[in-house]
This record gives sequence, C-alpha cells and structure tokens, in this order.
Amino acid sequence: MELSDLLSNLSLGFSVAAKPLNLVWCLMGALIGTAIGVLPGVGPVATMALLLPTTYYLPPEGALIMLAGIYYGAQYGGSTTAILINLPGESSSVVTVLDGYQMARQGRAGAALAIAAIGSFFAGCVATVAIAVAAPPLTQLAQQFGPADYCSLMVLGLVFAIVLARGSVMKALAMVFLGMLLGLVGTDVNTGNLRFTFGISDLFDGIGFVPLVMGLFGMAEIMANMTNEERRDLVTSRVTGLLPTWADIKASTAPILRGTALGGLLGILPGGGAVLASFSAYTLEKKLSRTPERFGRGAIEGVAAPEAANNAAAQTSFIPMLTLGIPSNAVMAMMIGGMMIHGIVPGPQVMQDRPGLFWGMIASMWFGNLMLIVLNLPMIGLWTRMLLVPYRLLSIAILFFCCIGVYSLNNSANEVLFIAIFGLLGYLFFKLDCEPAPLLLGFILGPLLEVYMRRAMLLSRGDAMVFLTRPLSAAFLGLAVVLLVIVVLPNIRKAREVAFVE
Amino acid sequence: MRVKGSQDLAAGLMFMAAGVAALWIGADYPLGSWQRPGTGVLPRILSWALIGIGGIIAAKGLMVRGVSLLHGAWAWRPVIMVTLAAIAFALLVDSTGLAVSMVVSMALCALGTPETRWREFAIFAVIMVAGSALLFVKGLGMPIRVFPWS
Amino acid sequence: MKRRTLLGVGAGVAAAAIVRHGTARAQVQNYPDKPVKLILPYAPGGATDMIGRPWADKLSQAFGQQFVIENRGGAGGLIGTEAAAKSPPDGYTLFLAPSAALTVLPLLRKTPYDPVKSFAPIARAGDLVCGFVLNPAVGPKNFQETLAYAKANPGKLAYGSAGLATASQLRLEMLKYRTQTDILHVPYRGSADALNDLLPNNVQMMNEINVLPHVKAGKLILLNINYPTRHWDFPDVPTLTELGYPDSDVPIWYSFQAPAGTPPAIIEKLNLKMNEIAATDDMKVKARMINVVIPPQTPEQMTQHLLADIKATDVLIKAANVKLE
Repeated sequence: MELSDLLSNLSLGFSVAAKPLNLVWCLMGALIGTAIGVLPGVGPVATMALLLPTTYYLPPEGALIMLAGIYYGAQYGGSTTAILINLPGESSSVVTVLDGYQMARQGRAGAALAIAAIGSFFAGCVATVAIAVAAPPLTQLAQQFGPADYCSLMVLGLVFAIVLARGSVMKALAMVFLGMLLGLVGTDVNTGNLRFTFGISDLFDGIGFVPLVMGLFGMAEIMANMTNEERRDLVTSRVTGLLPTWADIKASTAPILRGTALGGLLGILPGGGAVLASFSAYTLEKKLSRTPERFGRGAIEGVAAPEAANNAAAQTSFIPMLTLGIPSNAVMAMMIGGMMIHGIVPGPQVMQDRPGLFWGMIASMWFGNLMLIVLNLPMIGLWTRMLLVPYRLLSIAILFFCCIGVYSLNNSANEVLFIAIFGLLGYLFFKLDCEPAPLLLGFILGPLLEVYMRRAMLLSRGDAMVFLTRPLSAAFLGLAVVLLVIVVLPNIRKAREVAFVE
Repeated sequence: MRVKGSQDLAAGLMFMAAGVAALWIGADYPLGSWQRPGTGVLPRILSWALIGIGGIIAAKGLMVRGVSLLHGAWAWRPVIMVTLAAIAFALLVDSTGLAVSMVVSMALCALGTPETRWREFAIFAVIMVAGSALLFVKGLGMPIRVFPWS
Repeated sequence: MKRRTLLGVGAGVAAAAIVRHGTARAQVQNYPDKPVKLILPYAPGGATDMIGRPWADKLSQAFGQQFVIENRGGAGGLIGTEAAAKSPPDGYTLFLAPSAALTVLPLLRKTPYDPVKSFAPIARAGDLVCGFVLNPAVGPKNFQETLAYAKANPGKLAYGSAGLATASQLRLEMLKYRTQTDILHVPYRGSADALNDLLPNNVQMMNEINVLPHVKAGKLILLNINYPTRHWDFPDVPTLTELGYPDSDVPIWYSFQAPAGTPPAIIEKLNLKMNEIAATDDMKVKARMINVVIPPQTPEQMTQHLLADIKATDVLIKAANVKLE
C-alpha cells in the first residue's frame, strides 16, 4: 500500500471515529467492557450477544465501534480480578494471575494494575498501527499455516506450560496432561464419538472454560482463604504504593515491547492464538530474565509482558475478520453478527465497499485505548480499596459472581453445578501443591492439538512425515525439543543430587 | 518404609488414579488408522503418561523428604458450605428466580465461616440482590426473573 | 370411599379442563401480552443467528411485544432443541429450528425429542441458497470439469464441512453417491474454521454460505447451486437439477416451531403474521443479503415438507452409509 493511500485512509478513519456520537459509542463500549471484564465469569461473548439487538438501532459504524470497545475493554478489566482476587476473567489473563496476585499479596496491587494498564495501552496503540499498515500481509502470513504447523505450534505451547510452572516440573507436566484429558471431554469433532461424558448432555460440547476457571480459581480460593486468616491477611492488610516506581517502569519496558510483538503476531492465528500469546510472552520473559526464580513470586515483568501480549493479540485478532470475514474466536463471530444486522456482508470486499466503516473502526480502537487508560489509572485506587472489604463479605460476592457469570454463558443452571465440582477439585490441587495454570493451558491447547494433528494426518493421507517436512512445523517442533531439554535437564540433575544426599 | 513426603505421594496417587480411570472408561474408544487416528488415541497416550508421571511423583513422595499432607489445616467447613452454596444457586435459579436463589446461596456461603455477622450480612444481601437485579436483569437484559412471581 | 375419591378427582380434572379452556381462549385473543422467547439451538454468531435476528426484530414490531432470542448452543443443536421441546406450550416459547436438528440428528443419534411429535410447525423461516465451491488453484473451472478431475484423481480433492452430521456433510455424501466420485471429507468445528483452510487450498471444496463473499471477490469458484432456482447474485451458475442431478440438493431450511400442544389459534395467528412479514420487500432484501429466501407455507405444508425431508435424509444416510462411529 502506498504511504499516501495509508494517510488518506487513516485521516478518513479518524474523521469517522472522532465524530462526537461515535466517540460516545466508543466510550460506552469501553465502559461496558471494563465493567464486565471486572466481573468474574461474565465475558464479552455473553455480553455482546445480549446487547446485539440494541445495536440494531445504532448506525453501523457506531454499533461496531461499541462492540469492539466491549472486547478490548474486557481485556483491560479482566486483569483486575486476576490481580486482586486470583480469578482470571478471561483465558488470556490466566498467566496474569501468576505474578499479579503475588504482587497484590505483597501489597503491590496498585503497581501491578497500573503496569497492566500501561502495557495494554502501549500494545493496543502499536497493534492498531499494525492493523492499519500491515493487515493484508499479516493475513497472508496467517494463511501460510497448515494444520501440521498449527499442531506443532500447539506442542510448543504445551512446553511453555511446563516452563511457567513455579514449583515441581513433574507436577506441572502431570497437570498439563490432566488438563488435556479434561479438554477431550465431549463430542469428538472428527468422529462424532462421545468421550468421558457419562451420558450428561451438558458435557456433549465439552467442559466450559469459564466454569472450570471459576471452580479451580474462584471457588477454591474462597475455600482456602475462609479458614486461613494468615493467607488472606497478606492480601487485605497491606496496600501500599498505588503507582509503579521508576524501577518498575524501567524493568517493564522491554517486556512490554517484546510482549506486544509476540502478541501481535500470534493474535492473527485463529483458535488458540490469543491464549498462546500471553503464555509465550510470559515464558519468553522467564527465559530471558537473569533472575527467573522471581517469576511466580511477584515479578512485575510477569505481569507487564503477558498483559501487553494479550491486548496486542486482542487487537490483531480483528485482522482475519476485517480482511477475510473469518472470525478467529467467538468474539469476532459476534462482531460478524453485528455487521450482518446492519446489512454488511463480512468478507474481502468490506475494505473497498465501506472504507469509512473499516478505517473508522480501526481509528476508534486508538481512541478506545486512550479512554481506557484514562479511565483505568484513576480507578486503581478504588479497586485496591475493594480489598479492604472484609473477607467474610468479599468471599460471598466472589461466589455469587462466579455463579451468575457461569449461568450467563448459556442460561444453563447445570453448568453452575460444575463449578461446585471444580471447586472441590481446585481445593484438592491447592492442598497437594499442584498449580492449576498448566492444567488450564493443557485444557485449552490439548483439544486443538488433537484436532490439528488428526486433520494433518487426514490431509496428508496418513503420512506422519508431514510434521517434519513442512518448514514451519519442523521449526516449532525443534524449538519445543530445545526448550524441553533446557527445562527438564537441570531438574533431573537436581533430583539426582537430592536422591544421592538422601 | 516410612513415607517422607505424603503430599507428593498423594498427588502422585491422584494423577495415577485419574490415568487409570480414564484408561478404564476409554477402553473401548477406537484407535483408528494412521490416516484417521481414532477417538481413543490421545486419551490412551494421556492416560499412560499420567500413570507414569504420577508413579514418579509418588515414588519421590516415598523416598524424598517433602511436605506432609497434614501441613496446614483442611478447611472442611468452608469447603462444604461453599460447595453447597453453588449447588443451591444452580438448583434454585430457574425455578425461583434471582432473589431467592441469591439469598439462599449467600446465606449458605456465610455459614462457611464463623466470622459472619448476621445483621451486616442482611444489609449486604439486600444490596447485592438489588444491585444484581439492576445490573444483570435490567442492564444486560439477561433472561432471568428476579422474584418467583415475576 | 375409593369411588368417591375417583369421582372427586374426575370432577376436579373436568373443572380444571374447563377453566384452562376458558383462559386459553382469552390467551389467544390477547396473545402476545408479554415478551416471547425464541430459542436458537446454536451459539451466537452463526448462520442461525443471522436469520433469527432480523426475524426477532420484525416480529417484535408486528406484535408490539419483544421477541427475545435465547441462544442455547450445544451438542450440534441437541441441547437447544430439547429445551424447546420441553418448554411450556403456551406460545411464549418458540423455536427457530434448523433442518438438521429435526432431520439429521434424530436419524444419527438418540435424541430426547421426536422431530414430528414434539413440535407443532408454525411457518418457514428461510432456505439457504448456496452450492459447492472450489479453490481455483486446483484447475477445473466449472462443475463438469471438477467431476472429471475428481474421477481422474480419486481421493485427491478434500472437502471441508462444518462438522459431522451437518447438512454440509450430507451434501458431500449426496454428491459422492450420485456422481460416484471419491472426495475426502474433512470435518471442522464450524464453517469459519473450514473456510480458513479452504482459502490457502489446504482443503479444496466447501458448501456453506460464508464462502460466497469470496466467490464475489474472485478468490473461489462457485460450481453449482443446491436449490431449485439459481442464486440472484450468480445468474450464470446452474442448479444441480439443471446439471442433471435432480433431487440431490439436500435442502438447508429453517422453520419456526412451537412445543407440541400449543393452542392452534396461536399458531395460526403467528403463521399469518410471519407469512405477511416474509412477503414484505424489506424482509426479502434482508433475507437475500444473507443468501436466504423465505417461501410462505401453512403449518400443514410445513409438516409435509418436514416428513418428506426426513424420509429423503434417511434414504441418503442409509445409501451413503453415513454414521457417527
């Protein structure tokens, strides 16, 4: 694309996005998004589905600007509960829990929230530019990925899960496998067979991510904290320093840059792309750090990088939707629904037929990110003060929001029953010192791995060499092996030393 | 032989149990062919992996000094009450609406800790019910009724 | 004693029936006097949503009561269909039924509902008009050339469907069966995933409405139309019948259904209004945009159509040996 074209497109976009009414819709979206992001369990998909009929009465630009605002607003809000009460609101904020909650327990919730917001803002701005400048070439890049490449990418992602473990590598590995097994529950896409459903029709589509997280994190955390005063007093008693120090910002700059780049690239891949983004950004920082032992114990880089990555990925996941009309996740499917309501058929022609809408939406993302940071930084004081609510009441509120959040997904009361089961399981994991984060990654990536593996085998007509002959796939597998060796070797050595000492 | 790390032993046994259970439930899932790997391939790989790793962790628990299973109290009262609270919400929400199911489940949750002050709880419950009715039913338009008669 | 109890019960039942009958009549006259729930058996965002949303809007305007969409996704439509079948038959819960939930699912799986007995048909909500597409990188330019290519290279073409036991799989099975060709079936989780592999030629063929914008952009070739009439945007593309394969369309159609036992007067009221809406220019334009046409039908015609489609699907499933393993 010519530079002059780009400039004229962007000026068109900004002229559309800066219309007062469109700014209002953008603000509305950002506000609603932040609110539902903060509410555990209530996610952007359910909210957008509920609000879709309302957008019918808005002009198409306004409707899409607002819907988009809900999505990236939720990314900002989602980290709030992850940091404050150890409850990830979205799959992409699972890693934020690891160090964010530790920071909160050390009384640094304010710094963690601020760095999450700053990282998200920076990543959002950069990714917006990336969409404007490079949407078509990035689309081309994503199209280079075949099923075999995706499969190997998932293998690499699972190795990341082991790296991010804070304690025993063996337990983390077992949790990954257990998570994959839980991910297989439901109807097998390739054959239609039912697996591990016990004849319960609510399990035919598998276990939902939200009930699993609400149980493993939300419910288990309440159970653990209700008796253990020492544990929760760490959270509630000391809230100092609302803003990050210069040292924090300096330590976070490079991780935010790297997280943005990684997230922006992975976001364009459909399916697990956005989730992989935050996990791999965390893994990268832990590997690059000179003091990896701080990770999982309140390292600010462990909040900055994944938050930047997930927001960058949230923005670039618009690319396949905008250029090809292909939704890369459920939220994008809702955006497409929003377009259809207004008589816009998503597909490659939107860019030419409706330039005002296309570029206006991209420009609005920049406004939205600006509004979000302006909104969120002053809110930090308020959020951290929430921790001063007595735990006997806070726990009840968390429980209720878990329940209503899960209910809101499918209006299904049975899914609320699942969180009771996963709560018990989560408490057992807590007592046995097994971290749930690797389990969640296995849960998300395991089924994708299987689907891509079988699709690759089907399309290669049974030739397993396809995983090694495709360059992308071979590169991912090679990287996975190297990483695995780096992680596991020191542990084996350590274990042997310990054994010898015994 | 004396158990040196009962927490690891228990964790290892848990993973092994999960592996054995999955293997047993999934025993008749077909394995398929190379071109069409069947339903049972990944479950079986994962089951054996869980049994193997669980075994290693359990062995470590037997031989290497570690944390005891009894380290830190088991919180039976909150575990039971919080679980019951979620179950109550699930069972009541469709038949009685938001207000009744919320009050019942919140009260069960409050029974989970001896710190509950009931007067404070009553005020809190009213605020929560009113707030969520406004937020979820009025604001977000969720298809859920507030009172049994509405 | 026993007889008296029996008598009492009998009188009670009769009284209840009379009362219910009386209120039922009042119900019909005022219907609808509160919001009506419209159950969609898939998650939001898909083709069913695209059909349901404009309908819900038009119905709300026509009746002056909100028609609220409730997405009950899961198990290929089974969960939402079951929920609809078990809803109270008072006219305040309606069901937007995709044909596969009534024709394909009950034939392949044990369903907790009966496609005919559990529901009372109201009106046709729309038929999808689309056909087979091919990635141009393969070479053939039209339907006949593609057939020749498939015959010369058995098993080489791969077809992406929206999943197992969907109408898009059955369309491939029908094509393979009628033309005696060997095309690899690759099931995806929804048509968006399949399209994502079709554009870079990882699979070569599809039959879903989401490919049509790419046909317009020249990225894919539309080979035919699986519908009795041609598509208004592609007047040069022949129908399957015109190509010499009659009765091979495997129609994809949507209908409004009510739980069985809903008062016939309510159904009639809805049917009249729905057919009226379907005949308006605005609705026609909205439908065409999503590649849909809406033939007006009476409830009786709907029942006949459903029975015929179930029978045809059954024949195809047996002949082509389609099964969930």
